[in-house]
Amino acid sequence: MTIKTASELSKERLERIERVIELKEPDRVPLAGVMGDMVPAYSGITQHEYCYDYEKSREATVKFLQDFPCDMSFAGITGVGELPLSIAFSDYPDISPSISFVSGPLHDVLGDKYARFPGRELAEDSSPQFIGGEWMQPGEYEDLIEDPVRFVAETVLPRVCRNLEKPGSRQTMATMARLGMELSKLAAFGQALAADLAELGYPPAVMAFAYSPLDFIGDFLRDVTNVLLDLRRYPDKVKQACEALVEPILKVALALKPAGAKLAFIPLHLNEYLSPDLYNEFYWPHLKRIIAELGNEGMKSFVFFEGYHDAHLETILELPAGWGIAYFEKTDVRKAKKILKGHTCVMGGIPMGLLISGTPEKIDEYVKNLLEEVKPGGGFILASGTAIAPRETSVENIRALIDAVEKYGRY
Amino acid sequence: MVEDLVKSMVDMNEQEALRITMEMLEGGKDPLKVLELCKDAMAAVGEKFEKREYFLSELVFAAEVLKKIMELTLPKLEKEEVRRVGTIVLGTVQGDVHDIGKNIFKVLAEASGFELIDLGIDVPCERFVEAVRTRNPDIVGMSGLVTASVGSMKKTIDALKDAGLRHGVKVIIGGGRADESVKQYSGADAWADDAAKGVRLCKELIGIKE
Repeated sequence: MTIKTASELSKERLERIERVIELKEPDRVPLAGVMGDMVPAYSGITQHEYCYDYEKSREATVKFLQDFPCDMSFAGITGVGELPLSIAFSDYPDISPSISFVSGPLHDVLGDKYARFPGRELAEDSSPQFIGGEWMQPGEYEDLIEDPVRFVAETVLPRVCRNLEKPGSRQTMATMARLGMELSKLAAFGQALAADLAELGYPPAVMAFAYSPLDFIGDFLRDVTNVLLDLRRYPDKVKQACEALVEPILKVALALKPAGAKLAFIPLHLNEYLSPDLYNEFYWPHLKRIIAELGNEGMKSFVFFEGYHDAHLETILELPAGWGIAYFEKTDVRKAKKILKGHTCVMGGIPMGLLISGTPEKIDEYVKNLLEEVKPGGGFILASGTAIAPRETSVENIRALIDAVEKYGRY
Repeated sequence: MVEDLVKSMVDMNEQEALRITMEMLEGGKDPLKVLELCKDAMAAVGEKFEKREYFLSELVFAAEVLKKIMELTLPKLEKEEVRRVGTIVLGTVQGDVHDIGKNIFKVLAEASGFELIDLGIDVPCERFVEAVRTRNPDIVGMSGLVTASVGSMKKTIDALKDAGLRHGVKVIIGGGRADESVKQYSGADAWADDAAKGVRLCKELIGIKE
């Protein structure tokens, strides 16, 4: 076998992904890699070090992606998505896209109560976690509707971030200065990592970040349980608030367009929670609009459909064919592929439980059977339903997965 | 009126359900009767959920209405009046701070007559072991959303074995990460990734027939 250069490998991987998004057959089914706790564990560092020490984090990520090659990877982004920060800065496209993800040091600078980090609120070896909370009262929907950016920046962030408690105070000024310093360190880390990954043959991955408006309200403002109650108690207000959030969310995502972002990642949360009636009234119209508008600007969407999306699968067909990637967590990808064939690139298929508790033989057989069904016609990316691999995940199982795609994924 | 309480709860009619509850309680109806109707209503909601007619949006709303009804009803009851079908020690395992699923399960299980001992979130193995030792539950329920919870579930069950307490309890795992392979890996007796199924399995685990 000839050894490929990094740039050849990078070109090959990029083409593989581009072809499946275009709903064509590539040379082989692309494999999305795992990330999460397994990455620091493999290098023998703690989750705390992985989240807080950029140098160690970079080394661990490079080592992991060198030893467990894949076609697309999320590894390297360690932290928690907190879109309100970006929304607050949405009038400033030079800043807004860089603070969607909060790393350990940024969490310390902000003192935010959205997240829990290892070595801070959690044990050194726990995963960083987003928990949200209730940061807005039902009576405040009016304020959110009237000016969502101002409301998030001036009312919500001071409540969520201990170090931004008093707008205009010296403490808040110091926090903003520290935020700027930390963001430049984070950017330097990102650039260095990108250079390392280019050497390993990974294509550049500039990705925008967007959100469904109802999820924004549930995750960052009202808390998930409350927003489900609000849907029945204040339906009109919730709907108007969703409307109002579309524009600032689009603004943040499109701020990365000049940097060459061709994909916008949209992780969904409430999709599994909602009955079709509620989904079609409060959730899907705004999400659909965001995906469509991004598409008009030349940006495809990469949507993570959390949990079971079975009840809403058909609605995806309302999008224009080739709109992007539908990444499913628990929805059966066989069924999804049947419904979305020739329309949507489907991603997923491997239950994380199998990678944790299975054997290499079981994984080989599973991938063989799955690909037999979903490979024909292209438009499919093999991935674990949840990309976060816990530290117990066996190295042999990940190798078995990589080998199986090579064995059964060729076209 | 009696049927109306069940109907209004099943139909997600919060105002109506609360109005009927107040009327029943103020009109001198036995508060146990109110609880019984709630149990019927929640069973009907759970059934619709398992049939995929209802979703979490309905389950969460019904649980909220139930919570409000309980707040009105429980002060009117003598504690020993409430008949318990079994006891569940419940918690989100170590390393995980999520609790939406756990809390929905808790409300449904209480409505079905279980006594719940909720240990909260990020619960170390030792606290589960201690709770089993001192409270002697029928069932241990472990919840987890982050993938790291899988390892913690296994560790907790191993700790129960080491303490010689495993054979005395049934263990059910729940939450986003639970599936058949995780059940086998951790050594649990049952798994559920939704609260309604979780409560049904808990009843089965201790041999309650509907």
